[in-house]
Order: sequence, then structure tokens, then C-alpha cells
Amino acid sequence: ALPCFCTAGSQSTPGPVGFVLKTWLAGILAPGLGVLAHLERLETQVSRSRKQSEELQSLQAQEGALGTKIHKLRHLRDELRAALWHRRGNVKACIANVEPNRTVEVNEEEALEEKLENVKAVLQAYHFTGLSGKLTSRGVCVCINTAFEGNLLDSYFVDLVIQKPLRIHHHSVPVFIPLEEIAAKYLQTNIQHFLFSLCEYLNAYSGRKYQADRLQSDFAALLTGPLQRNPLCNLLSFTYKLDPGGQSFLFCARLLYKDLTATLPTDVTVTCQGGEALSTSWEEQRASHETLFCTKPLHQVFASFARREKLDESGLLIDCFHCTGNTSAK
Amino acid sequence: MDETVAEFIKRTILKIPMNELTTILKAWDFLSENQLQTVNFRQRKESVVQHLIHLCEEKRASLNDAALLDIIYTQFHQHQKVWDVFQMSKGPGEDVDLFDMKQFKNSFKKILQRALKNVTVSFRETEENAIWIRIAWGTQYTKPNQYKPTYVVYYPQTPYAFKSSSTLRRNTPLLGQALTIASKHHQIVKMDLRSRYLDSLKAIVFKQYNQTFETHNSTTPLQERSLGLDINMDSRIIHENKVEKERVQRITQETFGDYSQPQLEFAQYKLETKFKSDLNGSILAEREEPLRCLIKFSSPHLLEALKSLAPAALFSRIQKLLCYSASHSQGTQDPSSYIPLYPRC
Repeated sequence: ALPCFCTAGSQSTPGPVGFVLKTWLAGILAPGLGVLAHLERLETQVSRSRKQSEELQSLQAQEGALGTKIHKLRHLRDELRAALWHRRGNVKACIANVEPNRTVEVNEEEALEEKLENVKAVLQAYHFTGLSGKLTSRGVCVCINTAFEGNLLDSYFVDLVIQKPLRIHHHSVPVFIPLEEIAAKYLQTNIQHFLFSLCEYLNAYSGRKYQADRLQSDFAALLTGPLQRNPLCNLLSFTYKLDPGGQSFLFCARLLYKDLTATLPTDVTVTCQGGEALSTSWEEQRASHETLFCTKPLHQVFASFARREKLDESGLLIDCFHCTGNTSAK
Repeated sequence: MDETVAEFIKRTILKIPMNELTTILKAWDFLSENQLQTVNFRQRKESVVQHLIHLCEEKRASLNDAALLDIIYTQFHQHQKVWDVFQMSKGPGEDVDLFDMKQFKNSFKKILQRALKNVTVSFRETEENAIWIRIAWGTQYTKPNQYKPTYVVYYPQTPYAFKSSSTLRRNTPLLGQALTIASKHHQIVKMDLRSRYLDSLKAIVFKQYNQTFETHNSTTPLQERSLGLDINMDSRIIHENKVEKERVQRITQETFGDYSQPQLEFAQYKLETKFKSDLNGSILAEREEPLRCLIKFSSPHLLEALKSLAPAALFSRIQKLLCYSASHSQGTQDPSSYIPLYPRC
């Protein structure tokens, strides 16, 4: 490309001397453009090197600035480190001073919580005693937990208002339990007697109900009809047989529980269906059933029936009961 | 199957709304599963009814089966009847109540049949220890009218029975007698309670309207329910009346509790008030006889309405009066200045 003196001139600082030299040389050595080009190249080299040295200078200056900055930051870091160590040292000293107190606090707190949990657990465990209570804003809410043969059954509540006269605010006792009668007799004069009497009635009711429910659920195979019962479970009437599959005689039983505080019947009648001409063995069996129902809980009597049948099937001899009728049929 | 029985069953089924039909038929348990499956319940009602009648004829439904269906319908639609409450009492020193369901049913039926030759009596026991009795009345010369029966719901081993009020009032004494004798009581008295809602009557009479109790087992503390005390309250009067409002709220909470109230529609009180006066010559105090007046409250849901009055702090005394009388056993007459009687529903 043709050298253009103007642009070459504008990129560097030729100064007036360089310019005059260029134009003179250009005038004289016009044909020797190669020389001009060479000179041009030299000029750019010079300007480049000048630029580079300038850049180097500025870089050096920057480096210097950064260096001082680094120095400053290092100094700051060291200061902060020192401060941190100092503070940590303080805290440790504080902890060392305070630590014995703080552990005591923590221990006390834990101890209190443990005590609270214990008390809560004891209060809940009171349910197992059958009679427990909780103070309310106006009196006490008594909880009666019923049980029969080690089985925890339903719970009933009586909310008492402590005023003169003492009165029952509300309760969950079933309608057919004579709560009002018991209250009329004992509530004002002897609250302990009231509660124990109510406990008696409710436990006995729960026990009777439990026996009737077990009979219906566990020994349905031995019952030949529905179990007749009433709300208080104090009159039960049912027909049953001893042999779940076969054709043994049917027994009709009628159990009366005239004592509402008892779980065993007061009157038992067992009859044989169609049994006018009963053999002595059947008569003995019938009588023994009557005794059984009077002395053992209902579901246990039936459990013994079921067990006896199992023994029968395996061909073992029964000692207490003569079952000649049965074995001859087999 | 008798024509009258068929007609009776048809009219009963027609009363049942379509969405309840399968439930009621299942509860009736007269038509078998297979038979019910042959019925297309999406048809028009008349066709469904025709088909059902046909099935009942196949199975030879009796009057007793039809009566049972009627009982079940009424059990599902209890609120269509108005129920009265009767209370029975035994003599003093009576034996323990050994209620025998079979004996009761036989005895009840016999007493009615001996008095009126033509009467249909049907029974249905429920799981809540109640027995529903349906009586269709006839006379010595006419057959029982199946379309105007009386229902009695008796709770054995309690003194209470609920009777649907009917237009044939002349049979009520006989019914009372039959119930009393069959259940081995001496006397029967009609209480001043009447309602469409059997559940509310039960709650009031059996005192089972509040079944929440405080125990140590409950981990959540009893929450204070705000009865809207903060709504519509002028900020200038809060501080002055705060104590009073809190007292009212506490009393309301204690009286009404958190449970849903039995549905009372009326409450009526006869008051006899004798006035006292320190001044001489007061006209009211000089009266020999007490002043008698009748106060009647009515509302679609009276107890809830009273409960919501608490934030307005009105009628707090009347609340106490009502709830005091509700918590007393029925039949007590307080000889003090006011005589709370049985609230009418």
C-alpha cells in the first residue's frame, strides 16, 4: 500500500523534525519508496516501543498501588485476627467463670421437667385404680374406670359442683343405672360412700355386659338362637347346645341378676328342650350347668363347654360328667 | 297378599324419597339382595314401586312386614312427627327392674288386644336400647286404620317413653295403661315437653347434653372460646366493661359449654312472685296472693339464641334461671319466689 504520511504522522508524535525529514526524503527519494516504507516501519517500531514503555510504566505504577493495597489489607487482617483472638479469649474466660452456674441451671430445668413428666404419668396411671378425679373450676370431675377380670372396660364421668348443696353438673352414666337414687342416699352426707357405691354399680354393669358380649362373640357356635338381653344386662335368656356340629339336646337357660352390684346371677334356671323323659345323665348335666352358671362367669362356663367337647372328640374319658348319651350316639 | 296390605306397602314406598329408597329397603331386610338387584332404580318412581310391589307379592308380605316398613320410614323421618314425653314411676320399695323383652311385648299386645279387638301392634328394637312400638287403632267393629298409627319409643329400664302425638286422643289413656303394666310400673304422667326432635328430647330428659369432661389425659388445654366479644365493640368502652363481659362469658361457658345445644323451640315459665317492699304503702307488696304471670320464649333454636346473647350481656339472669331448671331433675317444685316449670320444646 502506498504510505500515507499524514496518517503515519497522526499516530505518533513525529514532532516537526520528523515531518520535515519525511517530506524531504519523500521529495528526494521519491522513487525509493522502499526506503520510505522501511523508515515507516522503523517509526512505528519506535512508537510501539514507546507505547510499551509507557504501558510498562503504568503497569508498574498499578503494581505499586496494588502492592500497597495488599500491604494495607494484610495489616487489617492481622488486626482483625488479633481482635478475634482477644474476644475469644474473653469469652472463654467468661465461660470458664460462668460454666459451673449454667450447668446447674440446666440440671434444675431437666430435673423439673422430669418431675413434671413423672407427675403426669402418675396422674394418668390413677386411671388404673378405677377411681380418679381432676379439679375443675367449679368442683371436681370424677372418672370411674371399670374393669372385669383384669380387662379395662368403659369409663364414666361425673362432674360435681362443690356448693352447698353438692350437686351433679353433668355425667356420662347410662340412664338405666340408678344414679339419682344413689345420689339421693349418699351425695350430701357421705361423698365417699356415694362414689364407692356408684363404682360398684358401674363395675358390676360393665362386668355383666362384658360377659354377655363375650358369649355373643366367642361362642356363637354353641348358641342356637339370639341372646336375649336387656340394657342393664341383668336378665339373660338363651338356648345352647354342647356340641357345635351335632345333634345333642338343647338347653334353655335364664339368668337373673337381682343384685345390681354383682357380676354373677342370683337365680339360674336351666331346662332341657322337649325334656320330659330325661335320662339321669342329662338331668345331672342340667343341674351341673345350673351350678356352673351361678358360680363362674358366663363366658368361662362356655369356654369349659368348648374345652370339654374337644376332649370328647379326642376320645378321652371325662371324669366329672356322665355323657353316656353322647358317647352312645357316637 | 291382601289388597289392603299391598295398598299400604305401595303408599309407604311412595312416601320414601328416591335417594333413601335403597337404604330403607336394606334396613327392612324383607326383600333379598337378589330381588333388589333385579329392580332398576333409575326408572320413574311409579315403575319402581310397581316392581317392588310385585316382589313383595312373590314373597307374600304380611301386614306385620308392612307395619315394619312403616316403622323404619318413621325412624328415618322422625322430625315429621311431634313427640310427647311420658314419665313412669314405680311404687316405693319395688324390686329391681328385670326387664324381659319377650314378656313386655306379649303383655303390651295382650292388654291392647283385650281392650280393643282390632288393633295392630308391631315392634322394632334399635341398637341404642330403645324399642319402637307402632299401634294402628281400630274399634270393636272396624278394622285398624293403618294410615293413622301412633308410635311409642320406650327405653327399657328407664322411666321414659316418647309418644308421637296423634289426632286419636281417646286411645291415649289405654296406651298409657298398657305401657305401664307391661313395663311393671305403677303410674304414668305426661311431661311438659314436646318437640319434633327426639334427640333433643332425649338429651334433655336423660341429661346427656354435655359429654365433654376434663381429664388428666387430655393434652390440649381447654381453649377459651371467644364469643365474639371483640366484634362491634366500641374501643372506648372496652376497658370499663371488660371485667363484666368476661364474667358473663365465663358464666355462659360454664352453663352452655362447648357442645351443641338440644333444639328447644319454646320455653314457658309460670311465675308466682311475691313482692317485698321496705316502704310502707307499696301496692304490690300489700297483695296477699302472689302475682302470677306466664313468660314464654320462642325461637327456632332457643338455647343457641340465648347463648349468643351473652356478648350483648343481656338476659344473664334468665340464662341462669333456664339452666338451673334444666339441670334439676324434673318434677321438683321450688317453693322460692319463682317456680321454674318444665320447659316446653
